[in-house]
Amino acid sequence: MPKLKSYSDLEALHKRFLEDKKSSGLTLIIPDGTCCRASGSTEVIAELKKELAIQGRKEDIRMRTTGCHGFCEQEPIILIEPGNIFYCRVTPEDVKDIVSSAIKNGAVIDRLLYTDPVSGKKVMTEAEIPFYRAQDRQLLAFNKLVDPRSIKDYIAIGGYGALTKTLSGIKHDRVIDEIRVSGLRGRGGGGFPTGRKWTECAEAPGEEKYIICNADEGDPGAYMDRCLLEANPHLVIEGMIIGAYAVGAHKGYIYVRREYPLAVVYARLAIQQCREYGLLGENILGTSFSFDIDIGRGGGAFVCGESTALMASLEGKAGEPRAKDTHTVKEGLWNNPTVLNNVETWANVPLIIMDGAKRFASKGTKGSKGTKIFALTGQVKNTGLVEVAMGTSLNSLVFDIGGGAKNGRAIKAVQTGGPSGGCLPVSKFNLPVDFDALFDAGSMMGSGGMVVMDERTCMVDVARYFLNFLQDESCGKCVPCRLGIDRMLEIVTDITEGRGRPDQINLLYELAETISETALCGLGKTAPNPVLSTLRYFSEEYVAHVEKKSCPAGVCKALITYSINADKCNGCGVCLRSCPHDAITGRKKKTHVINAQLCRRCGICIGECNFEAITAI
Amino acid sequence: MQQYVNLKINNVPVRAAKGVSVLDAAISNAICIPHLCHIPGLSDIGACRLCIVENIEDGRAKITASCTLLVQEGMVVFSDTDRVTKLRRNIAELLVAQAPNSKAIQDIAVRCGVTEVRYPFRNGDCILCGRCVRFCNEQARANALGFIGRGKDRHVDHPPGSLSAYCKNCNACIQFCPMSVTPCGGPMKKGEERLCGQCESQLSMTKDLPGVCVWCELGKSFQCSRYLAV
Repeated sequence: MPKLKSYSDLEALHKRFLEDKKSSGLTLIIPDGTCCRASGSTEVIAELKKELAIQGRKEDIRMRTTGCHGFCEQEPIILIEPGNIFYCRVTPEDVKDIVSSAIKNGAVIDRLLYTDPVSGKKVMTEAEIPFYRAQDRQLLAFNKLVDPRSIKDYIAIGGYGALTKTLSGIKHDRVIDEIRVSGLRGRGGGGFPTGRKWTECAEAPGEEKYIICNADEGDPGAYMDRCLLEANPHLVIEGMIIGAYAVGAHKGYIYVRREYPLAVVYARLAIQQCREYGLLGENILGTSFSFDIDIGRGGGAFVCGESTALMASLEGKAGEPRAKDTHTVKEGLWNNPTVLNNVETWANVPLIIMDGAKRFASKGTKGSKGTKIFALTGQVKNTGLVEVAMGTSLNSLVFDIGGGAKNGRAIKAVQTGGPSGGCLPVSKFNLPVDFDALFDAGSMMGSGGMVVMDERTCMVDVARYFLNFLQDESCGKCVPCRLGIDRMLEIVTDITEGRGRPDQINLLYELAETISETALCGLGKTAPNPVLSTLRYFSEEYVAHVEKKSCPAGVCKALITYSINADKCNGCGVCLRSCPHDAITGRKKKTHVINAQLCRRCGICIGECNFEAITAI
Repeated sequence: MQQYVNLKINNVPVRAAKGVSVLDAAISNAICIPHLCHIPGLSDIGACRLCIVENIEDGRAKITASCTLLVQEGMVVFSDTDRVTKLRRNIAELLVAQAPNSKAIQDIAVRCGVTEVRYPFRNGDCILCGRCVRFCNEQARANALGFIGRGKDRHVDHPPGSLSAYCKNCNACIQFCPMSVTPCGGPMKKGEERLCGQCESQLSMTKDLPGVCVWCELGKSFQCSRYLAV
């Protein structure tokens, strides 16, 4: 491939690839991200290739492997275009039927269609599925159109058009203006206005400037950045090139964690393709602007998602944060002005340049514009990656898109923002997804993790879980974070194990204040949030643990006893057989009894009982 | 030519050389800001957070460590407000609960106003101030010590984990270690740890002038940089 020398070269290429795409007939689209592979997409793809070869239709039926489509619950998925037919939970055995029915044009296999859990009806197309219908997919919509390994696919959908637009007409400050007017705020968690960050970096004195894409996503249960980088690496790279042009940088880094091997491979491939096409390197598209990107791989430390720690890690030092009294836009990587943005922030940039800031700003609330991707996990029916416009209520996220609670239980809370965020109760579900509204409620937007919890979740135990995570992942440099979180964990563990004292609650508040005021970095400062938010909204659970020595949700093992409800038990004996400690006795067809001394509170019997006769209080 | 800036620490006008930290400026002007991990001449990492101050920026008070905060023209800083004092006391309490067997840390606890310790004592050997590591790497240039692990597992060790061939046996690490001075009454056994507090009488002289350095005896053992600089 000869390098593209001008804008018209790219335009011609776009036209050629688009024609090529239009002329293609039947296309089978199979998501093949890391999450899809975990559900078995690799086997389905192998079978599909084999089947197409057997049927001799390799030429006219196209197959496109893409990144994750978001509906992880139903994977592996096969999407048939044209027609938008959506088959879910496909097994290699189904492939034969799919190919033969697809050839017969339009024949739909009923058993593979998605069943709406609310109405119980079969749904034929992707667009009709409530999970997708309630979303506003701006970034994720590209996922099914693009094979992440193919720059052709990306150019065919108009990729690198925003770059042409930037390089051909707009001056440096006009690009920044556009971003500022759009109201884009950092998607990594802090929500710092991107336009302001770029302005400060562009104005900072210094010859060498750097651009960094933060793909060191470490929140438990969050995978937005991985999905974007795996599904559409060129979108992120295009955003970075535009950013580099705007602030005057010539070198960029994608810092991605080693646990995302597929994202590393795809990003590396995309960079290589860009170099071949002349979209990265010297004199991009024949202009005087030069820029190149390298990949830095993180070792899996949560703290390396913090900007200064990430830069230290890129410099080859230990990944520890440093004091941020001078901002990284002035003194960042190797003490040079640096713009660091999250994957999702970079991915939004081409859209803003292409469609204009006004269109971007038309979505969202006063302080938060555009859309945001969330990883919806936990006790909801539909788990997966969802994208909604800012301002959408938590209610709509959890119930309309998530489909409400699994197993018919009541939903109790949602945890947003990962370990630095907080738990919001159902009474706060009318809150919009908005940086400031969530912050005021004691949580935060974070990078987009959203864990839904039902009534069987103990909030004190949740606080303990996150403290345990943070204690492991704290870099250990500063005293408040290292010792403070350790002591908080000690106290909360005491509470969950029945040794809690009323005065310890006040001590928790005081520790939380100390840590959030004095810790060295942003991660330390937000570390007490899980405890503070659960204390704020679920204080009655703490009181029950401390004063009554009971766990209302029946989770904390030291505080609960298992018992069998005589009215519901019919003596089937399932629990008796499943108990590993022989703690359950009872004759056939007679009420069974749990021996409290022998019971180790493992909870196996609760899961086994078909009559909900066993309770833990 | 050396450039100077003017700032205010606790309402006291201070003139300091450009590029020095607020902590250094305060100490050389006899304003007491308790500190532990700071040693004159070594880089500051802001690990102990004892030297926190309120930095007034755009009318908002921001809490930050003074050792990593560089002086700027017109800066307004407070080191002894109620908020700072309380937070500093909480940090000192965490430290003394972790390592009661150090006279230096017991003295810091007294200086910061700790009167009770609300956590179970742990008889720790190291509070990871990093004095030894930085001296070894920056002054002795031996690179024989470093931090290993993170979070709860963080500890000081020879980088490969075994006795390092780089060590020059200069003993400076021991000299600078706050754990090397045992409490006056001898080391406390496990289970018998307590807040010493015997030097509390010395605090009386700072009662009316809480932010002023009075060359207290406390500073001698915790190696206040004012003593080190002399």
